[in-house]
Amino acid sequence: MNYNIDCDGASATVNFDGDITFSENMVFREMLKSLNGLNVSECIFDLSNVGMVDSAGLGMFLIAKDQTENAGCKLRVNGASGHVANMLKLTKLTEVLDA
Amino acid sequence: MPDKFDLAEDVFSARVLIVDDMPLMQKMIGITLQKAGFTNLLYADDGDVALDMVATERPDLVILDINMPRVSGYEVCKTLRADAAHQNLPILVQSASEAPEERVAVFESGATDFVSKPINQPELLARVKMHLENRLLIENLQGFRAHMRRELIMAREMQEAILPKDEDIAEIEEDGDLKIYHRYQASYELGGDLWGLWKIDDTCAGIFVLDISGHGVGSALNTFRVQSTIARFSKYFDDPAEFLKRLNESLVDNFALGQFATVFYGTLCYDTGKFMYAGAGAPRPFIARENGIEKLDSAGVPLGISRDAKYENKTTHLDVGETLFCYSDVLIEAKTRSGEMLGEEGLSQLFTEHLQKSSGDDYLGSMLDEFFGNMDGLLPDDLTAVSVQRNGDRGQP
Repeated sequence: MNYNIDCDGASATVNFDGDITFSENMVFREMLKSLNGLNVSECIFDLSNVGMVDSAGLGMFLIAKDQTENAGCKLRVNGASGHVANMLKLTKLTEVLDA
Repeated sequence: MPDKFDLAEDVFSARVLIVDDMPLMQKMIGITLQKAGFTNLLYADDGDVALDMVATERPDLVILDINMPRVSGYEVCKTLRADAAHQNLPILVQSASEAPEERVAVFESGATDFVSKPINQPELLARVKMHLENRLLIENLQGFRAHMRRELIMAREMQEAILPKDEDIAEIEEDGDLKIYHRYQASYELGGDLWGLWKIDDTCAGIFVLDISGHGVGSALNTFRVQSTIARFSKYFDDPAEFLKRLNESLVDNFALGQFATVFYGTLCYDTGKFMYAGAGAPRPFIARENGIEKLDSAGVPLGISRDAKYENKTTHLDVGETLFCYSDVLIEAKTRSGEMLGEEGLSQLFTEHLQKSSGDDYLGSMLDEFFGNMDGLLPDDLTAVSVQRNGDRGQP
């Protein structure tokens, strides 16, 4: 998994590329740390280029949701398709993550 | 792991064998080590004596002369290295020759390190200490690994013990005229999957498949937590949605943020074939019928995320000859050699194909053989697969 963060003042978009699985745990936490430093009020996870997410990946989204909310930032998930969209639907996390 | 102080103490009590045919050299090296605090010194005046002493006295380090009348230092090195028991024994060779080719020959014969004669005492001491420290650290690490391995094996046995027992499965097979096949395989030593099967009464059984997010020790510990929590809600076993709701409410305070469990739970009545179920985000189970595959709606918020999560009972039927197949997500998410996931559709085809080919035998075995055959490398997640067939005329999809 790779990611880059686009930030335009109040809003940040994290563009993910690749699979989000158990083994991406450290990279994901690193990303959350950089996100935390930005002090934005809205954050969008763009999953257009993510082919698959496993249960650990979904867990990381929940951690991100909690962390951003605690910092007064609203998190949304965008662009999920295929397996990723199915996973969000199956676990009904579409509602929790505003996907 | 020892701290620095322990390590230093262990180094000075280590057994050091000094091998030299010249008594003066033996004495000089011995005094150098003694003065530094070494207390456990052994001496040999030729290679053959040294080999005998290594075998009987098991030194922690050997300081070895190269040129000796009967058996040379090279031969001692080669003989020791040929024996698996002495492959990691530090051998410090001392030689008067500074020629580069001799150094090469010394290392080729299996020496760990080299010191030149005349011996520079501080250098000799520094090298002896370094090699002993390395040896002790390696021994410690090996010991620690062996210990961890034993602990993990024990933990795995405990984990396997919470899966359904053969006699319980056999009883339900008999009660319901069923044939049950199952597989459980952890991706590491320990897994985060759990499945269960229980008798509700003589006419009805419950089956669940559960997958805790992540894998390894953390997830495995949570399977024990879930297992003990499940037992508290046995009075709701006949109501899948209520059972999941209760289980969720209990687990939500205990699971750390980001941890959750996807679950499928269903009850089967043997007399009517009624199959009632509720899902909490587990992969969609299949029912193989004569006219194709039904994929059961297992959507639902996984357990442990939200206290307010609601679950819904759904009803279908498992008739005589039909097969229910529940599985964990690794079967659809693991990458095959081509780099693609099998996906739900791919798994459904693989399942259908092997079920059709089987003649009442364990189709799950051949199906998983094909699955593993197409996979590159190790299993990336824990695997659970459970198949429940109602005996009678075999229903073919």
